[in-house]
Amino acid sequence: MMTTAIDRQQKPKFARRSEADMRLKNNRLGMTIFQVSWIMVFLALIIVNWQLRFSYSEWPPAGVASFDPLLPSAATLALLLSLVMVRQGLQTLRRNHVAGFLMRWRGAIALGIAFMAIIVYEFASVSDAAMATQYGVTMRLMTGFHLVHALAILAIMVYVYRSGATGSYSRDEHDSWAVEGTAKLWTFVTLAWLMFYVVLYWIR
Amino acid sequence: MATIAVPLGAQGEQIEAEAVQRPALSEYLRWSVDHKIIGVQYGVSAFLFFMIGGAMAMLIRLELWTPELDVMVSGAAYNSLFTIHGTIMIFLFIIPMWAAFGNFVVPLQLGAKDMAFPWLNAFAFWLIPPAAVVVLLGYFVSPAEAGWTSYPPLSTLFSGDGQTLWALGAHLLGISSIMGSINFIVTIFNMRPPEMTIWRMPLLCWAVLATSIIAVMATPFLAGALTLLLLDRVAGTTFFDAAGGGDVLLWQNIFWFYSHPAVYIMVLPGMGVLSEVLSVHSRKPVFGYRMVGLSSMGIAFVGFTVWAHHMFTSLQPELRIPFMITTMIIAVPTGIKMFSWLGTIWGGKIRFTSAMLFALGFLSLFVIGGISGVMLAALPFDIHVHDTYFVVSHFHFVLFGGSVFAVYAALYHWFPKVTGRMMNERLGRIHFLFTYFGFLFTFFPMHVVGMLGMPRRVAVYVEAFQPWNQLISFSAFVLGFSSFIVIYNVIKSYYHGPVAGANPWRALTLEWQTTSPPPATNFADDPIPFENPYGYGTEAAAAYLDVVDEAFSGGNGSP
Amino acid sequence: MENTRSNIPSISPAAVVVTAVFLLVSVIGINWFATYVPVVLPEQASAESKSVDELFYILMIIGGVVFFLIQGMLLISVIAFRARPGDDSDGPTYQGNPLLEIVWTIIPAMVVVFLAVVSYNIWTQNSEPKASVNLVDGSSISINVTGARYAWTHQYVTERFDDNGGQIVINSGADLHTYIGQNVDLTLQTQDVIHSYWVPAMRVKQDLLPGDPAQGGRPTELRFTPVRVEGRAYPAEYPIVCAELCGDGHGRMRGTVIVYEDESQFLDQFYEPAIYAILNPPADPVLRGEMEVQNYICNSCHILDSLGWTSTTGPSLNGIAERAGERVPGQSAEEYIATSIWNSGAFRVPGYDQQMAAFGPDVVEAGNVMSPEQLYSIVAYLCTQGESSDCDMENASTTIPDAIQTVFGYEVDITFGMESDESAETPDAEAEAADESA
Repeated sequence: MMTTAIDRQQKPKFARRSEADMRLKNNRLGMTIFQVSWIMVFLALIIVNWQLRFSYSEWPPAGVASFDPLLPSAATLALLLSLVMVRQGLQTLRRNHVAGFLMRWRGAIALGIAFMAIIVYEFASVSDAAMATQYGVTMRLMTGFHLVHALAILAIMVYVYRSGATGSYSRDEHDSWAVEGTAKLWTFVTLAWLMFYVVLYWIR
Repeated sequence: MATIAVPLGAQGEQIEAEAVQRPALSEYLRWSVDHKIIGVQYGVSAFLFFMIGGAMAMLIRLELWTPELDVMVSGAAYNSLFTIHGTIMIFLFIIPMWAAFGNFVVPLQLGAKDMAFPWLNAFAFWLIPPAAVVVLLGYFVSPAEAGWTSYPPLSTLFSGDGQTLWALGAHLLGISSIMGSINFIVTIFNMRPPEMTIWRMPLLCWAVLATSIIAVMATPFLAGALTLLLLDRVAGTTFFDAAGGGDVLLWQNIFWFYSHPAVYIMVLPGMGVLSEVLSVHSRKPVFGYRMVGLSSMGIAFVGFTVWAHHMFTSLQPELRIPFMITTMIIAVPTGIKMFSWLGTIWGGKIRFTSAMLFALGFLSLFVIGGISGVMLAALPFDIHVHDTYFVVSHFHFVLFGGSVFAVYAALYHWFPKVTGRMMNERLGRIHFLFTYFGFLFTFFPMHVVGMLGMPRRVAVYVEAFQPWNQLISFSAFVLGFSSFIVIYNVIKSYYHGPVAGANPWRALTLEWQTTSPPPATNFADDPIPFENPYGYGTEAAAAYLDVVDEAFSGGNGSP
Repeated sequence: MENTRSNIPSISPAAVVVTAVFLLVSVIGINWFATYVPVVLPEQASAESKSVDELFYILMIIGGVVFFLIQGMLLISVIAFRARPGDDSDGPTYQGNPLLEIVWTIIPAMVVVFLAVVSYNIWTQNSEPKASVNLVDGSSISINVTGARYAWTHQYVTERFDDNGGQIVINSGADLHTYIGQNVDLTLQTQDVIHSYWVPAMRVKQDLLPGDPAQGGRPTELRFTPVRVEGRAYPAEYPIVCAELCGDGHGRMRGTVIVYEDESQFLDQFYEPAIYAILNPPADPVLRGEMEVQNYICNSCHILDSLGWTSTTGPSLNGIAERAGERVPGQSAEEYIATSIWNSGAFRVPGYDQQMAAFGPDVVEAGNVMSPEQLYSIVAYLCTQGESSDCDMENASTTIPDAIQTVFGYEVDITFGMESDESAETPDAEAEAADESA
């Protein structure tokens, strides 16, 4: 069967998408591919951590105290809660409830800052004994690399929040792509951290 | 008989395109978000780097004319020379060159007005000049001397500060490559016309899709490895220093996890080009279209499981066997492509255009690279030829005999579309002869010197290999000379070539169903693709092409 | 598609003839190429080389079939299916043939499986650990290879002992000595970057990987068994090549495998004389120093014409005795040379930015262990290198030990030419003895 010009006009499913629809669709797919791609860097760092374990007969190496997972667990919890609030904020915005969206994002940003504060503290308090081995060095590599991303994306969140406060977004998906995109980036930060959290604190 | 598809949208012949002007040359020097401008920017800059890297290859061959160190001042200077040669050819020539053709052709083949993210597209390109400056600055200040593979601890504890700049530059180029690839994937998935299902997509798009998937999945590993290298060099960490609990094989693992798939980043688009050129110039559909498309995906997928064959002499012996098996498996999808291409030209009406000559040259040379690839996969034999000139020969057969021949085929094929002028076919044939035989006599003897015992990356060698090396060097100079023919041809044809018209090859894919060069929005209206991008030989196809010819005749189709 | 069967391209008789001729040529071509196999590969000097070459032969046959098949089809297409002048028509709309596609997927897959099985068998056969390796004089000794930029050193840790019970270690520099039928099993260690130990005639290669010296490095193993090559005179020599880029002198990093006809020739011409030389060192410290200095990797960085060293990584040692006294104010020539060897960081010759490896009684790299006596004799030897000498050669037997005593606090017993164990009073010297036997 051959397609003709006439066929096209007759079949509504062939209707071209509007420019705005197309842009949103592109943004969504582009974001997904970016996330799948960039998570690979985090995966690469996990492989680094994993392969360097074989340089030592035990892990953590002899004479190095293992990291206490208590505070990082609290941070992880804060990050997860923050993610829940980010996603809820997006849904609230979709229901055209801008004030509720802003309230949830305030909470999310606060929890995000709390997460980062704890991880910065953890980063700073790696013992000299640990830093003399790859146990401490890879920990700083991974948390440091993650912190850079968390900071950048948190900054975007703050920026989006401020735009939201001046009424830039509406329930329309096209208008609120910035919110949706930022929420996706924060999801990325959370997923990346969960991987690191398990590798750093639970897999011995 | 079904009705005839009209390529020019709902208005059919009504389009009255104003005569299309070629963009002024100054357009190419500025920031532009037009994918056609960006494509040319990529292409011209990549070719410039090809000439620089080629000049370095000439110096390398000059040094190897005698067994002694005579041209270069020291072994280290020679090491930095081939380091920068490899880096330029891979990161600044082949990968951006395919971004050039991908950029120019893919949106047109999809009937799209531009790429999905035009701004990101321009940004990805403009990362390349600063990255190139950083890499070249490193070479002229305090060069890296660890090869393009930069194995630590040579690259961390010994190589010059240029190594740090090398890593920074490679970082930028990796990011550029990721951005470009995200753009291609989204464009190919989202911007097709509704009639063009994924199974009606031109094979170049399939190849670019597979390439981009590899690039987005693998390049981040390069970013990870380079980050560690930089930290080791400037921050005093010891990820690759055994004395500090590090592991040199860590680099090899992560680096090759990127760099082996990167080989397919460099050659898959060439395979896509080949499917286009062979089909158009032998006037016959691509044989086994689906298998050709799927085999691109197959190569992309299996390509991720073979990296450790680069470490056959360093990996623990018991881990070598699985990688030998996965490496050999790659031969199957590659074989499918080879046979399908032969099936494509078999029984066709072959036109010996320059593009077709280079495509046939690719077929005849790539098969040698494929055979030596299987030989290298065979572990016991690889142990003997690992890190020798046999390997140098193999990857030049794949990346020059493969990729560069495909670049030339693509150039002769799409030059009329880019500039609106035909290239000089006579010069094209001369160029082909010089390139083909220059290449063959440069790289085929390398197999032999490698097997006889000449390791790669040496400035001095035992005297017994001198006759071989002089043959290789002489042929290399012939090969180097051949590139001036094509430069002359391009410049001459740009100004004085015959006017091409919209569709000089009577090709069915959408990039030919518009003026040459295409207007800023690519098509006067939403174009309708022919039901089968390679459906040559049918009445419907002939009718479709006649409509196009008619629509663009009368001064509209040319600058 | 509507056009299928009717459009199968028909092949002209001319093409059939061309095909037949081509296939004939292919068969002849493959056989012709096979005769060249010995020309494109080095001699088969090990048991491993025979099986590897067998694999190469199989690969060449299969590769040759693929090569001629594809080039042949290409050639036929180019001749038979070219568009005749004036023919503007299209080819047939022939889109594919599932059966054919399955065939050319399955057959290569089967070939791949076959090659994998063959390769696997040869690999396991070649890499299987052998019993009684490095058999010398009835016992298995260990042979250690050290790679350092840019020289190989081979050490034979013998089962012989000197008068003090110390295990005798033969250092044979860049040469590996072996004999036909010996199951060679080398332990490879690098002192700096990755090197790769390759003996083309044996078809073996193994990378040397840097490891933590405190944990004994990261030794790798290389095994092969030399076999007789018809028409070769023995002892036969084969090159050793560094195959992994290691820096400036990578291309010069070579060595030699010396294969003796049998064990008795090996013992007579290499092993016993080497042990004798160690047990009976020349009394003259200069002669002894000339022997000692060649046991270290000095040649990988320095020029010294009298020993044929050519490396340019470090400063030249030609005429060192003329300059040594002027390098560091307050240091005499003997003191300067001694300090520079044991404490290489103390002074760096302008224009050379790489620090020399450390030598001394207690360094971790086994190949770099150097006793005060060895240092003394090496300094004495280097003091003879030059037209004139700043060293006080008249009284060298006292000035050099004095210098060593002053700088490092080690006492040197200058009667070592006859007997030596007195210096074992200091605790450091004990550690040195332990190091040497390790």
